Amino acid sequence: MIKKLNLLVVAVLILSAQQVISQEWLVPADKQNVKNPSEFNLENVKKGKEIYIRECKSCHGDAGKHNGLALVPPPPDVTSKIMQDNTDGELFYKMSTGKGVMPKFDVILSESDRWFLVNYIKNYNPEITPLLVEAPPVKANLTASIDGSTRVVTVSAGFQNKKGEKENLTETPVNICVERAFGDLPVGQVLTDDKGTASFKLPENVIGDEEGFVKVVVSLGEDFEAKKVTLEKAKIGIPKETPQLIRKGVIWSTNENIPLWMLLSYLGAIGGAWLTILYVVIQIVKIKKLSAK
Amino acid sequence: MNKIESPEESRKLLDKIVFDLTRSIVKKDELTRFWFFILIMFIGVGLWGWGIQIKNGLGVTGMRDYVSWGMYIANFVFFVAVSLVGFLISSTLHLLNVSWSKPISRVAEQVAIAAVALAGIIIVNDMGRPDRLLNVFIHGRFASPILWDVSVVMTYLTISVLLFYLPLIPDLAILRNRMGDELPKWKMKMYSILSLGWKGDAKQYKIIYHAMRVLMILIIPVGLSIHTVTSWLFAATLRAGWDSTIMGPYFVAGAFVAGVAAVVILMYAYRLRYGLKDYFEDIHFSQMGKLLVFVGLLYLYFNVNEFLVPGYKMRAAEGVHLLNIFTGSYAAMFWSVQILGLILPIILLLFKFFRKPLSVTLISIVVLIGAWFKRFIIVIPTLEHPFLPVQNVPADFHHYAPTSIEIMITLFSFMAALLIITILAKLFPVITIWEYAEEKGIDKKYFSEQPKKS
Ligand code: HEC
Repeated sequence: MIKKLNLLVVAVLILSAQQVISQEWLVPADKQNVKNPSEFNLENVKKGKEIYIRECKSCHGDAGKHNGLALVPPPPDVTSKIMQDNTDGELFYKMSTGKGVMPKFDVILSESDRWFLVNYIKNYNPEITPLLVEAPPVKANLTASIDGSTRVVTVSAGFQNKKGEKENLTETPVNICVERAFGDLPVGQVLTDDKGTASFKLPENVIGDEEGFVKVVVSLGEDFEAKKVTLEKAKIGIPKETPQLIRKGVIWSTNENIPLWMLLSYLGAIGGAWLTILYVVIQIVKIKKLSAK
Repeated sequence: MNKIESPEESRKLLDKIVFDLTRSIVKKDELTRFWFFILIMFIGVGLWGWGIQIKNGLGVTGMRDYVSWGMYIANFVFFVAVSLVGFLISSTLHLLNVSWSKPISRVAEQVAIAAVALAGIIIVNDMGRPDRLLNVFIHGRFASPILWDVSVVMTYLTISVLLFYLPLIPDLAILRNRMGDELPKWKMKMYSILSLGWKGDAKQYKIIYHAMRVLMILIIPVGLSIHTVTSWLFAATLRAGWDSTIMGPYFVAGAFVAGVAAVVILMYAYRLRYGLKDYFEDIHFSQMGKLLVFVGLLYLYFNVNEFLVPGYKMRAAEGVHLLNIFTGSYAAMFWSVQILGLILPIILLLFKFFRKPLSVTLISIVVLIGAWFKRFIIVIPTLEHPFLPVQNVPADFHHYAPTSIEIMITLFSFMAALLIITILAKLFPVITIWEYAEEKGIDKKYFSEQPKKS
């Protein structure tokens, strides 16, 4: 009897264990311990970071900031325990095959790119001394102006050093964008010179509003904490084509757009009827006059 | 028509005709007062409801975001429809020289005036801000069927009033000459003013005939457009159930059915109440019964087209709408309207047995009720299917049911129409005396005679 009960308990345990396992992200044993063919060095981590920002950041957020998208299940932060508990092989397998909302990247990224990503993620492993240490963003200030006739944007950037002195921001990339309805469209990047200034000539083919006005937005990269500068709109772009949304021949019920034939028909019909009515009224007046005689 | 030669006989007959046809004006008894009391009471209740609606807004009605045209618009279409009979009987049949319809002309004109006047008022009922009514004219858009409808309704009302008034002028002179002590002074004064000092010479008659003819011809296009434009309020949209090219003739045919039924009912009421058996004769009811069959068949033909053709194709949205009408929540109303309100009356009226005054009248009552519900089916089910699938809207948006205030105001419109008709009947003879007398062979020269007071 007890034996039978034991069997039952075991059966229940196995079943429920299976339930838990099926929720987990299983990596086949042979894939778990695959070695990372690319060396763990600063250059490869930086390459991984570049790909991460392009392909993964939109969901997983910034490393260490736990600001990923609120999905179910949530995309774990790069520094999180869930992420770091993976072996190199497991990371590679998981990003290659995907699961649920997590896309499969084996068709998008080359094998070497994926291994760079593994290097980048490993950089945040608590057991490893990180190769890439990101300095906290520097407080900086940015000014910019635009010359409408030459289409040149002039930028000047500076920051406060530890002693509190103002210094020029040299050799720093500045992003030049154009304001669009749903965000800023990047059109180029310039490096500041040793005076902290840079100039950028906007291409000729930027599309502006109906009259060709464009709003240029200038900003510094991620390493800086600086307000982006939105310039006054300048007439430097190609006027946007405004498609004629109202097709000809469609009756548009406003008095400005009424077709002439319709207006004339209406006025003609109503006017004709009322003129006839007037005529009849005149006849009635005539009857009255005849009586008076 | 045979001319009656002897003056004695002519005078005697004319006296009788005038006596009979002025009975409605002279008669004043308890029943009249009671009838006025009922009408005014209902009108008062309706106006009270309207006051609540103006104070609290259209939220007191059952109309919501989807069904924004409810019972009022259905009622409006019904009244416009009923008014169309004026043009059918007093113009078309007249121009076609159909002689039996002549005594009915004024009844038809009464119905037309009352119905089209109320149609205008119902539109104001339907407005959330009636104080902005003038904006329709100030900011009217010429491409909008609503502006066309307003213009045409007003034109039709004016023509109907004139068409009522013109043949009345000689009658008013007869009343002015012959009546006296039995009527209050203000009435006599009104007759004398409105009769324009009518002398009754050949020239004046010529003008009357000419002007009437002009109006009768004018009212044909105007009458046709009043209901065609009303149908365009619906047909000019892309909505399933309204997006149909036969809406115009479909509405016009339906209007004739409703109008003929209304005139029959009124004829019977006059015949009974004012003892006009010899004027609204059995033959008139029989002929009106036949006319009802004719316009009914016409309407049935359009109904077959309107429902069978899209029903055969069952295009996506159209199919949902039609199924809702054929087998869904409106099925009971739809089929009883079509069968009891149209098919059965047509069949019954084919038999001589049913074309007696009382039975024609009873059938007409059913037809008229059916006609009212038919407009309900035309207006509301379509609106219950919004263009886009919508979620998370309050449940009362999905289905429309009129509230008691709407019903009160709708009852008001019926009572107000009846009040207009009653007042017209109390002020003026319900049959054109001089036309009728002439038809009976009495020479015109006797009309302007002053009878010796006995
Ligand atoms: C569309 C959003 C999205 C993008 C883009 C995305 N991920 Fe994910 N990722 C997720 C989600 C959601 C999960 C959690 C999946 C789960 O646990 O079911 C996840 C899980 C992971 C895991 C597994 C963590 C664990 O549970 O062990 C890894 C590794 C990972 N992502 C790497 C990447 C990499 C590398 C990229 C870029 C190449 C990337 N992800 C891009 C949404 C995304």
